Amino acid sequence: MIGRRALLLALAAAPPARAATLPPATDGVVEVAPGLFVLPGVHEEASAANLDAIANTGFVIGEAAVAVVDPGGSHAHGLRLRRAIEARSRLPIRHLVLTHVHPDHVMGAAAFADLRPEVIGHARLPEALAQRAGFYEAMLAREMGAAAAGSAPLPPTRLVEDRLALDLGGRVLECRAHPPAHTTADLTLLDRASGTLWLSDLLFVERIPSLDGDLLGWLRELAALRLEPAGRAVPGHGPAAVPWPAAAAPLERYLTALRDDARAAIAAGIGLAEAPARVATAEAAHWQLAELYHGRNVTVAYRQLEWE
Amino acid sequence: MRLHRRPFLIGLGAAALPLAAQGQEEPRRAERWADLRHALFGDRTVEDAGESLAIEAPPRALDAAAVPVSLSLAPELVPQVRTIHLVIDENPSPLAAVFRAGPAGDLRALSTRIRVNAYTYLHAVAETAEGRLLQAARFIKAAGGCSAPMGTDLEAARKRMGRMRFAMPEGAPAPDRAVPVQIAVSHPNTSGLQIDQLTRLSIPAEFIQNLAISYRGQEVMTVEGDISIAENPSFGFTLAGKPGGELRMEAEDNKGRRFTGRWQLGMAG
Repeated sequence: MIGRRALLLALAAAPPARAATLPPATDGVVEVAPGLFVLPGVHEEASAANLDAIANTGFVIGEAAVAVVDPGGSHAHGLRLRRAIEARSRLPIRHLVLTHVHPDHVMGAAAFADLRPEVIGHARLPEALAQRAGFYEAMLAREMGAAAAGSAPLPPTRLVEDRLALDLGGRVLECRAHPPAHTTADLTLLDRASGTLWLSDLLFVERIPSLDGDLLGWLRELAALRLEPAGRAVPGHGPAAVPWPAAAAPLERYLTALRDDARAAIAAGIGLAEAPARVATAEAAHWQLAELYHGRNVTVAYRQLEWE
Repeated sequence: MRLHRRPFLIGLGAAALPLAAQGQEEPRRAERWADLRHALFGDRTVEDAGESLAIEAPPRALDAAAVPVSLSLAPELVPQVRTIHLVIDENPSPLAAVFRAGPAGDLRALSTRIRVNAYTYLHAVAETAEGRLLQAARFIKAAGGCSAPMGTDLEAARKRMGRMRFAMPEGAPAPDRAVPVQIAVSHPNTSGLQIDQLTRLSIPAEFIQNLAISYRGQEVMTVEGDISIAENPSFGFTLAGKPGGELRMEAEDNKGRRFTGRWQLGMAG
């Protein structure tokens, strides 16, 4: 009896992320909290074989509607997500949230175009899409060939300046627009009911982060997000769900090393060309695909910090 | 004065062609360089520099809007070479910079950061005092650098305009010891090809056009810059001479703004 009671207590004390996460369904989708589903991406670069399904995407089902959070990296990826939704709910897919401009998150939007969903993004997302969408379409065609056909983002129809409460019927997603961090237009969501923070690429796990916004801003946003009332987070890359805020630690370590080492390199007169091989290399070694992204991160960090 | 601006713009059509198969690309690239070289140097003979002039750049750029490039001369050529042209073949304005050695300097090791608009050859052409021309080439993979959005927001960049940075990582020079020096001036160096995404208008080109470096009152080097030089133009060179003098940089942009930096260099050791 005592053993059984201890076991129950232990279960109750376990982090909710672990307790609530079921194994993935046959279509790869993981229900990380009731009605909150994630289709995890792979830690690879975009290719015809992986359909650019490299980022975590997913959806939240309310009592009246479904919201998609990031429609995926290609039309084919978006379609896979759409089939997963349709297998689980007959409610209308009314909202499409684009967490930021990167192609692995937005290029699948076209797979939902005929449903005419409300497309929600950061107030600065249209500017970022205007600058990048053409470039991303060409890049995807180059990396994926014919498998890229039909991939495109949808233009945002509802912009978030600061906060937006997205009511799915009996369930409200609190959207929040951030100052420049991972990119210049990052949006995160809080599902207060399940204590889940959908951080998208403000949180990387396992796969090396990519810095495309503001290094110091990202560190500030992470520090603030730690205080949110959530025991679990959905990262943009990594497992479907991770314990929050514990999962922020490796990312904060990497970004901090990037900041401190880049500052030291600048002070020592180490040039931009030499910096990638000398800045935060020990921290970078802990991450997958570091060889593809770390040098770029150093370049971005260096250029941001040299005129502090 | 902009050098050879018009003949270069004529070449734009070729750069805008869709990417053909790699096999067809090489002859086109060779033809483009022949056109550019003719626009710059007319019918003068341009020899291959071989090992005597080297271009260093990452084979694949980490940031197309700020690709670090360095040029170095073999020791025997250092006293002879007075001018080096840096050309980015596929850029809308290919002549990125012209470096000229002053009486108190040489061009043995130069560096800067460039914008690269498409996969391209970089060419460097060194000219000796007696008029020999020596060329070197390097292929680089990068795209979109000329129209890439600003690294920072334009308003902040304007506020900072004219601030200078200086680094001498190996200490002060001596008459028989040339040391590396890096200088940079904060300037948006807009290319005219960047678009303001809110107004949909292009941001006017404003860039550092002339830069002169002197030490102890004698000219070390001048640089003619262009829109292919990255935001916050940055230049590296070497300096020899008695320590304890003043290094001076004067820069002027195409709008007539002048910026001056002065640094007192400590005694060696």
